[in-house]
Amino acid sequence: MKTRKKIRTALLQPAFCLLVLLVCSARSFSQDADTANVEEPEATVARKAKPVKNTFESIWLIDNQTVMVPVKKSFEMDIMHRFGTLKTGYQDFYGFFAPSNIRLGFSYVPIDRLLIGTAITKANMTWEGYAKYAILKQTKGQYPVSVTYLVDMAWDTRTRDNFIHSSDRLLYFHQLMIARKLSPKLSIQIAPSLSHQNVVNGYYKTTGTVGDSSYKATVEGEMKHEHFAIAVSARYKIKATMSLLFGYDQPLTKHPAGNPNPNLSIGIEFTTSSHAFQLFFTNYYYITPQRNNLFNKNNPVTINSFNDITLHKENFLIGFNITRLWNY
Amino acid sequence: MKTNIVVITTAVLFLGTAAFRPFQQDPWPVPDKYVKMANPVKADAESIANGKELWAKHCQSCHGKSGKGDGPKAAQLKTQPEDFNKPDFYNQTDGALFYKTSEGRKDMPSFKKKIPDQEDIWSVINYIRSMRK
Repeated sequence: MKTRKKIRTALLQPAFCLLVLLVCSARSFSQDADTANVEEPEATVARKAKPVKNTFESIWLIDNQTVMVPVKKSFEMDIMHRFGTLKTGYQDFYGFFAPSNIRLGFSYVPIDRLLIGTAITKANMTWEGYAKYAILKQTKGQYPVSVTYLVDMAWDTRTRDNFIHSSDRLLYFHQLMIARKLSPKLSIQIAPSLSHQNVVNGYYKTTGTVGDSSYKATVEGEMKHEHFAIAVSARYKIKATMSLLFGYDQPLTKHPAGNPNPNLSIGIEFTTSSHAFQLFFTNYYYITPQRNNLFNKNNPVTINSFNDITLHKENFLIGFNITRLWNY
Repeated sequence: MKTNIVVITTAVLFLGTAAFRPFQQDPWPVPDKYVKMANPVKADAESIANGKELWAKHCQSCHGKSGKGDGPKAAQLKTQPEDFNKPDFYNQTDGALFYKTSEGRKDMPSFKKKIPDQEDIWSVINYIRSMRK
């Protein structure tokens, strides 16, 4: 049996947060827009403190979005691919020939600091609509970190017989990304997140003895509707156009059942003027952020004690992200 | 008969080579305003490091690692990129290089939008100058 929560709060919540953030940073936005519209170079360019550039090379760092928002009027296409796990080894060529998950994403920056996007992912035929706003940009003497807020709504578009109500199709995701470029080579991002699912599987919880007056049976959700998690990502540049990537996602909410696993990822990134290409090992399969955080079944590591740590190599999978930017 | 074959083969090879050779640079006039424009960004270590990073990302694939025009994408271009180590190039003013980088022409894309901060373009020019030292 399934339980359902009202959709209204979850729909209004991201819209309200975004509105507040836009209003709060309206002043800094207007200043940046003025400088962005300068068409001709001036004889003297005032050297004042400017936001640090390229904290990351792409809006993605393996499975998580980064604080980066491309320059105004940039259009981006993302192609993201996750193969099967390494579990069956040579039989499916280490996951390459296993059923894979694919996401096609499109985003645009209509005004400075704001990115809006949509995407479709093969798993559960999930459509996403998302927005990302750069609240603060790391600037020497002003802001020690960059802060960006991401809100994402996912819509499961499988056939109607998979759902009781239309609202059961919806999942939401909010993430506050805080990043610092520690040196020209090393950047780190910490990103707490909240995932919300409109519907969860239920089970009968019984108390007392059958036939006794104290006997009670209630329907409880296997999982909670809200799920908190935290993601840590890092980028270390080996060369101007090549970097090592690292990611770790830790679930924080404890559910009665069906607790998701953490995610460990490591990879390499190559960038050009308009492209970023990332190749990596990860545990996350779903690509859609809220689905990754809520339902990851691939456990990377078991830690029983300091001396008893088992890395589950078979639960990793190979994936890649390709991004392409156009300026209009 | 043998002579004819040699002549025809030579002609075909010559025409074929000429046809696939990239065109040399046409004159690229720069407005006076830009020719006289001074570089407002001091060529210090910070600017050169910034320029180097941008060079690797945006310029190196065509212009090559040291600006000789021998990057991996240069062969696909219709116009052979200039060798930055030759006087025709390095005798240009910083302002002229700024104009050409910002506006672009034919195979050379405009970097006004890809590198929206003008200081960054000046830093690329500082890095280009530093490559000769």
